[in-house]
Amino acid sequence: MEDYKYLFKVVLIGNAGVGKTCLVRRFTQGLFPPGQGATIGVDFMIKTVDIGGDKVKLQVWDTAGQERFRSITQSYYHSADALVLVYDITSRESFNSLPGWVKEVEQYASRKIISVLVGNKLDLHKEREITIEEGNSCAESHNMRCLETSAKDSDNVDRLFLDIAVELTNNVRNVEIKSGPVEEEIRDHGSVQGCCR
Amino acid sequence: MAAATSLNFDSNSLERLTEMKDIHEAYEYLCKQENTIAEEIDELLEHQTNLEAKMSTLYRSVPNLQVVNSDAKQLGSMVSFTCDLAENVSGKVRLLDLAKGRVQEAIQRVNDVLDLKFCTDGVQTALQSEDYEKAAGHIIGGSVDVALHVLQDAKQNLTKIVREKFDAALVTADRASVERFFKIFPLLGLHDEGLRKFSKYLKSQIADRCQEQLSQASTLDSADRRAAVVYADTLTILFEDVGKVVEIHQPLVETYYGPGRLLQLIQWLQAECDEQASRIVDEFIRNREFSLKSRQVQALLHRGSGRTSTAHERLDPRELDVMLAECTLLNSRTELYLRFIRKRVLNDLEMVGNDEKADADKVAVLEKLLRECLLSRRIQELIGNYIVMEEYFMRESVIKAESMDSLEQGSHTSSMVDDIFFILKKCTKRAISSGSVDCACALLNHTTTILEGDYQDSLYAKLRAGFPSGSFDVAQAYSMLQQGRFPTSSSDTNAAKLEFMTTVNNIEVSLEYIQSLRRSLSEECAALLIQNREIGKDKLESCLNDLGAVTHKFKDVLDPVESSAVKPRLKPWVDSFLSVNHDIREDEFSMYEANDPFVQNFIMNLEQLLAEFKDFMTPSNYDSLVSLVTNEVTTQLEQAVLRSVFNRLGGLHFDKELRSLVTYLTSVTQWTIRDKFARLTQMATILNLERVTEILDYWGQNSGPLTWRLTPTEVRQVLSLRVDFRSEDIKRLKL
Ligand SMILES: Nc1nc2c(ncn2[C@@H]2O[C@H](COP(=O)(O)OP(=O)(O)O)[C@@H](O)[C@H]2O)c(=O)[nH]1
Ligand SMILES: [Mg+2]
Repeated sequence: MEDYKYLFKVVLIGNAGVGKTCLVRRFTQGLFPPGQGATIGVDFMIKTVDIGGDKVKLQVWDTAGQERFRSITQSYYHSADALVLVYDITSRESFNSLPGWVKEVEQYASRKIISVLVGNKLDLHKEREITIEEGNSCAESHNMRCLETSAKDSDNVDRLFLDIAVELTNNVRNVEIKSGPVEEEIRDHGSVQGCCR
Repeated sequence: MAAATSLNFDSNSLERLTEMKDIHEAYEYLCKQENTIAEEIDELLEHQTNLEAKMSTLYRSVPNLQVVNSDAKQLGSMVSFTCDLAENVSGKVRLLDLAKGRVQEAIQRVNDVLDLKFCTDGVQTALQSEDYEKAAGHIIGGSVDVALHVLQDAKQNLTKIVREKFDAALVTADRASVERFFKIFPLLGLHDEGLRKFSKYLKSQIADRCQEQLSQASTLDSADRRAAVVYADTLTILFEDVGKVVEIHQPLVETYYGPGRLLQLIQWLQAECDEQASRIVDEFIRNREFSLKSRQVQALLHRGSGRTSTAHERLDPRELDVMLAECTLLNSRTELYLRFIRKRVLNDLEMVGNDEKADADKVAVLEKLLRECLLSRRIQELIGNYIVMEEYFMRESVIKAESMDSLEQGSHTSSMVDDIFFILKKCTKRAISSGSVDCACALLNHTTTILEGDYQDSLYAKLRAGFPSGSFDVAQAYSMLQQGRFPTSSSDTNAAKLEFMTTVNNIEVSLEYIQSLRRSLSEECAALLIQNREIGKDKLESCLNDLGAVTHKFKDVLDPVESSAVKPRLKPWVDSFLSVNHDIREDEFSMYEANDPFVQNFIMNLEQLLAEFKDFMTPSNYDSLVSLVTNEVTTQLEQAVLRSVFNRLGGLHFDKELRSLVTYLTSVTQWTIRDKFARLTQMATILNLERVTEILDYWGQNSGPLTWRLTPTEVRQVLSLRVDFRSEDIKRLKL
């Protein structure tokens, strides 16, 4: 039998080239892949993490950004527990596409979904086209959390996914509280460690 | 002598000796010294004879040594003579060698000159007689500087001629000439040029054939059997053409150009295939009004629920159906073609036996070509739109099935369940048949979404109003159906009840259907994976699992029936228990035995209630209902007991009532009932005790196999229902 308490689906979306595949590989495999081609359709990777003593399995779906794969990607929104909307801080164009993505999310995703805005390629901050403030205010206007990451330098990547895992775990526990024994809410994940896949 | 040094006697010191004692000492010393010296002399004399013997031997060998000396001198002069001689000879040999080399060179040159003469003659005659293969063959032979320019001229001349002739052959599509000149290029070292020119020829062939097919397609009679899939057919012919070209010409390329060149050829050919396929796709889009339909679907979907659109702005689902089938065919043919190309090129690469790195690079080039060629992109675009339209088609068909829902007399479920699952299966199967894992997954996801979303909602919405109260006349209910349809607005509770029960059954059957849908789709997926070298297996499995897990979201379907149809009706029946006195005399007890005041009636009422449902429910649903009813009966009856008082005979009577009830309920279901009555049975046991302390025979260590379901507090509470037990005794009990 599989050894985990909760399974959550996390779906990454955003324009092609913003670094979704790199973020997923960095988190699940701990590496920054050398020039791989653009993603075709969708793909997923698994990583099990420990959240407050419970094994939580994250199924991270990586999607293609191009328009022609949009309908494939959309079919995954409904069952997603969390959506990570990624832009590239060195690309105004990727940032300008965000409203379109948000609209899609609103249209297809379930209402309980958690969504996080991510500005990637933080290591290229010298070539930054989008300020932190711009990112923040965009996130705020769509009721999202916001985070800047670097898949290359591994900045904030674990934090991004672990925060999501903690929030989702707490949500499930809150539902369980109504019917079962009260479990303490996890406030941070200082104790949280990734563990083997 | 050692002593002498220590005492230092010499002649001077002897003379200075004055004391007698000293003189004696010196005398003794000198005597001792004399002895020692005498011994030494003896020893030396002993050696003398030995030495003399050796001396005489030496004297004897002197003349011998003189002979040796002269011999050695003679030998020295002989060696130097020999040396001079050898030096002399080897110089001559070296000269001879040089001379021999020169002679050989001279011979080679003569041969070359002869060759060249032959080649030049050959090239010229070959050129004259238009035997270009021969001419090119001659060119390889030539190598001497002197006449090199002659040959280079000839080569240039030949190359020019071959090019011209090849181009001319291309124009006239003279196949024989094309193939002839194609073979000459590698002889001239022009592999790439030859291959490129040749592929140009092949490309034009492919293009011509395809254009011909496409114009036939556009004029095809719409009544033709293949009309609905004519673009898929045209695309198939194109792929077969390219396939044939590869099949026929690969051996030729391999023979004359060597292995490992197929990738390059394919890269050039694919450019043509891309262009032609793109035209076919364009024609498909134009003639099937693909974009128009796609836009319409998008607009309809974006409006929110499809339910709001009026009939005339809807697309004709049948028309859509046909086009969707062709779409998946276009994709599956493309996948097949791309697999063929991959296999061919990989085989060709394998034959070369390059180092791994070079191979990996070439494979990467191949994969990139297959993934990103225009053909792939166009088809991916098509499939992207297909998914949206298939989803729409599926949703619309589901809505239609719901709206046409009907119930046949004697059937537990209504038509929409079968219809909807048929639609879901058909559409998702079609998506799987496209050969694209992502497309298959997308429709699996949409199926899951529909089932756990709209479908589940609409079923449960029918239960939300609850089970209508009042009696239930089955015949009446069926008569209210209008051609199997439930009256849309009716005050008739019978029809409403029938619809309610049907919905309950629909849900139960849906659970089974979900699992069998999952099973049959998973078989389809297995076939897809075999073609696909197992790539995408995890994705498909994940999506199939999600579909299977929908079952968990269909829960507690009978709860609303129970709470609205059973609970309120049970209440007055159970309440009648309260009106039966359980503090009774012997004669009353006998009277109860003869003419039961409560339980017979209660059982009869239950029987009637359950009978109402039995005919409308699937057997397993009916069992679930009995189980729910039993739960409710025991809960309510417990409360009634706690509100009554008993004496010993009353307790005995209650025990009898309980047994009748358990026997009845056990008889109507497959499931076990007794356990649900455990608490009540234990209450009856307590109410039957002779004395308060008798409870201790059953409690704690004495409980035996009995597991108490009552807490000590509850036990005391039940004991206190007995009017004949004193509360002090009960308080004093140690439980
Ligand atoms: N400097 C930098 N480059 C990145 C980072 N993440 C991704 N990239 C590069 O951006 C390009 C696109 O990345 P990819 O993950 O394929 O993007 P996707 O299309 O969103 O999946 C690749 O060349 C990556 O090497 C990052 O954090 N820093
Ligand atoms: Mg990617």
